[in-house]
Amino acid sequence: MKGVGLIFKKEWMEFSKDRRTMFFTFVIPLILFPAIFTMMTKMAQGDSNRRRGQASRIVLNDPGEVVKPFLLGDAKAFQLVEAPSGDLKQALRDKKFDLAVDVEAGAPGKLQRQEPFAVKATVDESESGSELALKRLKEAMKKQDQIWVQARLEAIKAPKDLPKPSNLVTEKASDLALELSKMLGMFVPYILLIGLYTNAMQHGVYMTAGEKERHTMLSLLSTAIPRSHVIWGKLLATFSIGVMGTVMNVVGMSLGFTILGHQVAGSEASLAGAAAAPSLSFSSLASPTTLGLTLLLLIPLGLFFSSIILVLGTQAKNSREAMTAITPGIFVVVMLGVFSTAPGLEKMAALPYVPVLNVALTIRKLFSHEFVAWQYILAFVMTSGLAAAMAWLSTSILNRESAIFRQ
Amino acid sequence: MLGPNGAGKSTTLRMIATLMQPDQGTIEVCGLDTQKEGEKVRGKLGYLSTDMNVYERFTPRELLRLFGEFQGVDATIAERRGLYLLEKLQLMDFSDVKMDGLSSGQKQKVSIARALLHDPKVVIFDEPTTGLDVLTAKTVLDLLRVMKSEGRTVIVSTHVMPLVDEICDRVGIIFDGELYGDAPPREILARYSVRTLDEVFFQLAAGGVR
Repeated sequence: MKGVGLIFKKEWMEFSKDRRTMFFTFVIPLILFPAIFTMMTKMAQGDSNRRRGQASRIVLNDPGEVVKPFLLGDAKAFQLVEAPSGDLKQALRDKKFDLAVDVEAGAPGKLQRQEPFAVKATVDESESGSELALKRLKEAMKKQDQIWVQARLEAIKAPKDLPKPSNLVTEKASDLALELSKMLGMFVPYILLIGLYTNAMQHGVYMTAGEKERHTMLSLLSTAIPRSHVIWGKLLATFSIGVMGTVMNVVGMSLGFTILGHQVAGSEASLAGAAAAPSLSFSSLASPTTLGLTLLLLIPLGLFFSSIILVLGTQAKNSREAMTAITPGIFVVVMLGVFSTAPGLEKMAALPYVPVLNVALTIRKLFSHEFVAWQYILAFVMTSGLAAAMAWLSTSILNRESAIFRQ
Repeated sequence: MLGPNGAGKSTTLRMIATLMQPDQGTIEVCGLDTQKEGEKVRGKLGYLSTDMNVYERFTPRELLRLFGEFQGVDATIAERRGLYLLEKLQLMDFSDVKMDGLSSGQKQKVSIARALLHDPKVVIFDEPTTGLDVLTAKTVLDLLRVMKSEGRTVIVSTHVMPLVDEICDRVGIIFDGELYGDAPPREILARYSVRTLDEVFFQLAAGGVR
């Protein structure tokens, strides 16, 4: 097996001499994901803060002036605007105001008679500003309802807690770290599938069809190294570069999630009035066991994808032909990746038996702290078998004269 | 090995170099069957063709060191022999220059050094002077002479007839997949009653005596 090691060494030497590709493969993901997550969080928080600081513009039709006093009483939350002429809903969609509130004409009388009166709110749920206005209206109405109820209770000298026979207290079983870890578990398989395939694609094509195109493959095949060793060396190099590149993507993404977690925790703490945000570290998102078992699963999956690439790359006469053959695979992998993020996926009974997707499922369960040993072993063995079959196929293709000397 | 384009010269050489398998018959190199003992054959054989290129990200020295390992040559010996070949091919000044910065002639020389690094007993050069300038071609021809004088079997396919006249002990002419000749040049000339190998070619192309 010395030949395998020598080819592996040659491929890594060649790769290491392309500093720019190395930078984009290994360093950029560590910068890109944290930067994107930080930017997204800042933008979302900035937008949310800006909206919170602005009063919602409402068109109020309240002939009996039942609601108007308390809405106007909170100038920070509400600002009354004139009703626009024409279609009210269209004007709402055109963002001329945030919410239309209609209070029925007989509201004062009904309030006096202690009968419920109707308040109709017209909202554009596709707009966050309109949703915020509705939320504020609900809060204001709830607060005012309580004031009216308390007044009625006082009038009949009834206890204050009369309308509230029970008090529901909720306690969170999961913490922020587990919630983020589950979210990470949804994205990690997606990133792994796409990362492993695309990384293997670039480097695998360079090492196979690219070698033919650059007319270097023949010099390799004219040495004493057996062809099976040539293919295995290339397979290991494609796999290792692909896995390392993908791991960097996952690490970058995890760092991004850690930053997101810190910011979410900080904003929750500030809303709750706490002095300091709860600590949230990288290790609290994914334990060493989770990371280790995930990395172990990458071995057969990475080998499987690398073998597919080598089969297609060895068969092709040049890089363009190889890329044309490999590109449809990207769409398949992206679809599998998107499918793997679907909620409720883990409840599908047949999924542990579906190749590739069973790896996604297993990783998701690992991040959700729901490790199932037999599913993990099945995914590992099944993917290893597929990888071995593909590796055998690529070796037999390299033994074909038609594959080596295709013009 | 002479013959027009498409006659089968390169295919024959590739079969000898174990890169292709013959449909029938056997080929032996140094007593080894090319189909059964391909790896051993390649260890005794240096092969170079026009459709081979060098790894452009490496320097000549790095490439030779690597191919020395591929051919199972001891690292110290590979280093020494690599430097000897680079000197012989007037490439010492470029031994540590990345090959994407070398001219096509210099790359061809590196390829020759790569093919000879493991001191092969048999050397196969498929059109070794194609695309080379006069000076580089001369260096290659000088090296062919040296290899011949060292007692190696050198098989060359070429269209350059003066080269054949000057250095080849035996000539094989391939035409339409058939081998004509396989004899010393003078014998071939006598057989066809002509003065140059070019004329043999013309006769064969015209469908004359074969």
